[in-house]
Amino acid sequence: MPFLRRLSTLVDALNDRIGAAIRWLALIMVLVGAFNAVARYLTRYTGVALSSNAYLDLQWYFFSLIFLLGAAYGLRHDVHVRVDVLYERLSKRARAWIDLAGTVLFLLPFSLLMLWVSWPAVRNSWSVREVSPDPGGLPRYPIKAVILVGFVLLVLQALSQVVKQIDILRAGAPGDDAVTDGGDHGHGGHL
Amino acid sequence: MSGLWGPAMFFGALLLIFSGYPVAFALGGTALLFACIGAVAGHFDLVLLYALPERTFGTMSNYTLLAVPFFIFMGTVLEKSRLAEQLLETIGALFGRFRGGLALGVIFVGALLAAATGVVGASVTAMGLISLPVMLRNGYKADFSLGVISASGTLGQIIPPSIVLIVLGDQMGVSVGDLFGAALLPGLVLTGSYALYVVGLSFVRKEVAPALPEEARSHGLDLLRRVVVSLLPPLFLIVVVLGSIFAGVATPTEAGALGAVGAMILAALNRQLSMKTLQAAMEETSRLTIMVIFLLIGSTAFALVFRGLDGDIWIADALTGVPGGALGFLLVVNTVVFILGFFIDFFEIAFIIVPLIVVPAQILGIDLTVLGIVLAMNLQTSFLTPPFGFSLFYLRGVTPERIPTTAIYRGVIPFIAIQLVVLGAFIYFAHPSTPAMPSLF
Repeated sequence: MPFLRRLSTLVDALNDRIGAAIRWLALIMVLVGAFNAVARYLTRYTGVALSSNAYLDLQWYFFSLIFLLGAAYGLRHDVHVRVDVLYERLSKRARAWIDLAGTVLFLLPFSLLMLWVSWPAVRNSWSVREVSPDPGGLPRYPIKAVILVGFVLLVLQALSQVVKQIDILRAGAPGDDAVTDGGDHGHGGHL
Repeated sequence: MSGLWGPAMFFGALLLIFSGYPVAFALGGTALLFACIGAVAGHFDLVLLYALPERTFGTMSNYTLLAVPFFIFMGTVLEKSRLAEQLLETIGALFGRFRGGLALGVIFVGALLAAATGVVGASVTAMGLISLPVMLRNGYKADFSLGVISASGTLGQIIPPSIVLIVLGDQMGVSVGDLFGAALLPGLVLTGSYALYVVGLSFVRKEVAPALPEEARSHGLDLLRRVVVSLLPPLFLIVVVLGSIFAGVATPTEAGALGAVGAMILAALNRQLSMKTLQAAMEETSRLTIMVIFLLIGSTAFALVFRGLDGDIWIADALTGVPGGALGFLLVVNTVVFILGFFIDFFEIAFIIVPLIVVPAQILGIDLTVLGIVLAMNLQTSFLTPPFGFSLFYLRGVTPERIPTTAIYRGVIPFIAIQLVVLGAFIYFAHPSTPAMPSLF
């Protein structure tokens, strides 16, 4: 377990860094979006082509980066919405059981499925160096590859969650809050 | 036998998301599970799953959904830069001299903030923190005050630019601009009805909402200055954002991006654009984007397998076969959505339920724009309904301990009644044989 805990801490740290970075993408996306809006308007009235398909592509590339790369960060920090009518009334142990079962039965198989079916599509896109069909648009193959990166990060984070949930379940008695949100393990004395 | 796959998968998924595991992944996992069972039984072709990357890519490049993070960014900047708070205080000072005036202020700010944020939590929390203490201190009855605040906080679901309407537009294949335009009238009708109720009640029962004493009011130039500084700029921003959409100058996505930059400029002019404000807006925007879009990806997987198992045909048959035709359909759909709205968030309903009812609605000749408005209003009502309404839940979080939760429940009952009357009127308009719904644009 100590080795797995250390891996889990590493994955958590990696996704936290990514989470901190994608925040800035949100700001950049807003600025690019506003530029596109103004540029389209000015282009229409001045005839000077300020806007381009590259910038239009760029705004949804940032959008995609946020949720594809951020999904794992979201899993770690419980961003993904739950129907918690029952869940919030359960003990810590019961929640850990649900999370463990859900991760193993739903999240991991689904993420692996997404990797499995996306791989051929991304490989094709790379082999032909796929570019946007619009004139002046950006290359498509890198952003498609981010689908794979996102789900690999999600698989890693899911495994890290499994380690933490097993820790909660092994910690013993219900209501034992020695392990809080599972975010800060590695600092324990076990290593 | 093959007719059982749809219901089995639908109710199976519903059961699994009630486990409390994140809905996005519970749906994705359910999809894979039923794909495998279906394939073994010879009812499902696994090759269909290879459509998933193309669907994901379609979500990534979805121009309409891009408006969602833009409007969230705009709303969070307005909220975190204290513009919303100043707005509440100013309108309170402006109306406080009249009986029921503080409550009227809450309703108008709710409608205005709604137009700016479109997120239930944000406006209810802000008003609960700022207006509730002022109302209680000045002798307003607790249950009345709580009812006004929780009801006004939900106006953001229906008044444009509501995020609910953007997502509904995307899922129903209806223009978001049309939905915004059509939502303006019901939004104003609701706001007006709330206001009438408050004025009427404080006229009949003087003790419910007394006028502020002389020394608590502000006067003349000071008040004028506050109005100019805190009311006009956000009002201007909202008018420009909505106006550019209605005039056809900008798409909702463009208006959202410009609105977000506009909110930053307003905050900067107000000397409130700190690093903390920006960080909060960026964090909130990325979190909600991750949450909403991954939910959509999970729902897409669910929908793909559900259709592969002919579940959509089961739903369409069931809904078009409801006795009473279009009216029966509207009543059934609205009842189901209303009840589901107690337990599950709007986004799940939009991504799981709404795509399934579009085809039957078209078969029955129901206008999709009007149906979208009715659904948005319905969800807004369910956010207000005890015991699980989201608005009540957020308000409870910022209400003093000594006030019992039942006071909130008692307070919202009149507003739920208003909601149901207005909702009923618009369901009547959604019925294809009635004349078209009047629209302001």
